[in-house]
Amino acid sequence: MLQYLSILLDDTSVAYCHADNPLTERYLIPLETLRKAILFGMKENLMIQYVYPDYELQEEYNALIESIDHVKIGRDVVVYNEVPKKITAENAVLRLSIADFIAKQYDIAVLLPQIARLNICLTDIETFKDEQIEEYQKALTTLNTVLLDQYKSGNRPQLSILTDRLQLKEMHNCGAGDTNIIVAPNGKFYLCPAFYYDEQTGINNRLNHHNPTSERSVGDLENGLQIPNPQLLKLDRAPLCRICDAYQCNRCIWLNQKLTWDINTPSHQQCVIAHLERNATRDLQRKLFDAGFAIENEIKEITYLDPFDVRKNIN
Amino acid sequence: MKKLVGQVTPEEKNEIQTLFERRNGLNELAKILTVDNSDLYEKLVRDLGETGTKFQSWWDSMSKKYRWESAANGNWEINFETCEIFLITPES
Amino acid sequence: MKDEGLVVREGNKGWQEGRAKNITFIVTKDCQLACKYCYLVGKNVQERMSWEIAKAAIDFVLNREDDPDFDYPSVIWDFIGGEPFLEIDLIEKICDYIKTELFSRNHRWFNSYRFSFSTNGINYDSEKVQRFIEKNKEHLSIGITIDGTQRKHDLNRVYKNSERGSYADVARNIPLWLEQFPGAGTKVTISSADIPYICESVLHLYKLGIRQVNINCVFEDVWSEDDDKLFEDQLILLADAIIDEDLYRGYSCSFFQEHLGHPMDCVYDNQNWCGAGKMLAVDAAGNFYPCTRFAQYSLRDKEAWIIGNIRDGIDKNKLRPFLTLDRCTQSTLECVNCEVAQGCAWCQGENFDAAKTHTVFERSTAICKMHKARVRANNYYWNKLYRKLEKS
Repeated sequence: MLQYLSILLDDTSVAYCHADNPLTERYLIPLETLRKAILFGMKENLMIQYVYPDYELQEEYNALIESIDHVKIGRDVVVYNEVPKKITAENAVLRLSIADFIAKQYDIAVLLPQIARLNICLTDIETFKDEQIEEYQKALTTLNTVLLDQYKSGNRPQLSILTDRLQLKEMHNCGAGDTNIIVAPNGKFYLCPAFYYDEQTGINNRLNHHNPTSERSVGDLENGLQIPNPQLLKLDRAPLCRICDAYQCNRCIWLNQKLTWDINTPSHQQCVIAHLERNATRDLQRKLFDAGFAIENEIKEITYLDPFDVRKNIN
Repeated sequence: MKKLVGQVTPEEKNEIQTLFERRNGLNELAKILTVDNSDLYEKLVRDLGETGTKFQSWWDSMSKKYRWESAANGNWEINFETCEIFLITPES
Repeated sequence: MKDEGLVVREGNKGWQEGRAKNITFIVTKDCQLACKYCYLVGKNVQERMSWEIAKAAIDFVLNREDDPDFDYPSVIWDFIGGEPFLEIDLIEKICDYIKTELFSRNHRWFNSYRFSFSTNGINYDSEKVQRFIEKNKEHLSIGITIDGTQRKHDLNRVYKNSERGSYADVARNIPLWLEQFPGAGTKVTISSADIPYICESVLHLYKLGIRQVNINCVFEDVWSEDDDKLFEDQLILLADAIIDEDLYRGYSCSFFQEHLGHPMDCVYDNQNWCGAGKMLAVDAAGNFYPCTRFAQYSLRDKEAWIIGNIRDGIDKNKLRPFLTLDRCTQSTLECVNCEVAQGCAWCQGENFDAAKTHTVFERSTAICKMHKARVRANNYYWNKLYRKLEKS
């Protein structure tokens, strides 16, 4: 069931997830389109998230934006594309390549005492090689060490890839097209911003094959949402994910269709990274337990990093 | 004439089926290998001999184990699907 | 029907079913025929496999003895087209190379391999094809497609350009084929136009000496409004003929199967229908596919699902959807809850081609009403046959 509507205020709105925004020319959402998008969100009872560009908007936009409860991505939620010296926002997103994440693990660790919540977003998951497993594990261990100290001293900073799984008892993923939907400045719906970027840059379209252009929208504000095969965005139609307990995984459907060509099937890379994080969370959980913290949600030991390797009798 | 005279275990059947397949493979390979390819040709000749011997010793040991009925001009056949052994004799 | 197993002929099982890796060579995309129901929409004379590509593909496969995806006790080397026997010289060279390599590498498949062909039968009696058969007789599985009576066969199976029916050119080779492969079966395809000829066609094939008739409706969305009723009527006629003339003792027709038309469970009975993704197809360009039906010449609306090539290997991410497919995940709720689901087939390639999005998880249901008609006729068949056997 849809819960969130994200409105891209401009073509150059900040990228806040795996995919970079390749669009460099400003195109501000027309005021009337913004009004219709807000109306849609109100009628569908959706929580609205505005995704901001890096420039200030005119007053008439601000007035409209403030007409409804919302979150401002790129304002309330600050997005960093490199590791900052200091984070002042309560809620931030740090977008990094895997190599940078590994190289800057100590710089990230320094930030942890400053934040309430930091979402880590890796921007090149498709390039991950099994040879990087050890390095990635080590970086997670570094961050765990600081998180443990923080917990011991009474702070509870949230680092998405390590602390979310401590609480989660079921899948809590990106939800593109299922719990979340995007409106772009052109007034069309997209499953997530990455599909809009692909369309705008003419990247080959494997999702909406009937359209020979790179059209990737799933409806528009005039005619409503028209998601083809919406059932494939649900967990129960994802054979690998529904048997998986790396509950913090983004389950990025954009990466799925890009790497496996099927929207409900995760790539080896996404599964391995999610399991390295899950297992690191387990380590953190055990250390917290040893330090006297109560554990309600025990993470079990498993022997695999990719559920594909342990799928059984499903084919 | 074809008469059911016994049955072997699936494992025993697998042994003779593998030898049977190998012998067929060797015979068909023999049609295309020439002495020009001397190493492979010698390997083939050796293998044909070894496989033939193993093949015969399977029938010898099984017939001894199960004491199948035999006939002067007859020979045994196995059904790979059912593991059944048949005695085949010329129609009189 | 265990007690009556001696009197009712069951269809042959596939060789080493489930235990053999299937490697398919698309040796040519050309064919003498232009069958009207053919799903190969992109046939052409240009895409013929070269020896260099074929050899590289064989080397690629044989170098993967330790790869779990190739860890099968047996192998079926499948040759398709177009019409594969148009490339008999290449095929002979491929098979010779495979045999030699399997032996010299001490590969486990030397003890368990087959060369498999599905041919239109037109040049079956040619000197080259016959020489090939003679050389490889013990390892061959050859199916000639003959669709039934001349009028049914020639309705669809016509020469390209001329529209002339091919029945006479195929039928003349049937005796030779059956002499060489007595247990062989033929594959009959049913589309909308030839439903009225089903009964006469199966009986005709029996008369030609073909004891096993594998027959199926095309999976594409081609059915007209009353086709299911016509189809059911034809199958009832066929059932009567098979039973009344005691043909069930020596002949089989895949339309009639004892375990058909029951509900199915999503836990215990959830397998995918076919082996797409477990098999590997290679074409003239050296590209790999999860099954031949995902090559471009088989697809109307979608881009080919290329999973790799002979140079770069296989991108295993592109195989993950296939290897995690199960019946219920790709089925509609109506299919999941269907009371007669057992035996209802699908083609993964057709599902993909007909799907609204780029997925193999959307099952095409174009065949639904035909399956239900088949189930009704099948029930009739077994009820009538049981009654007869009880009385006798």
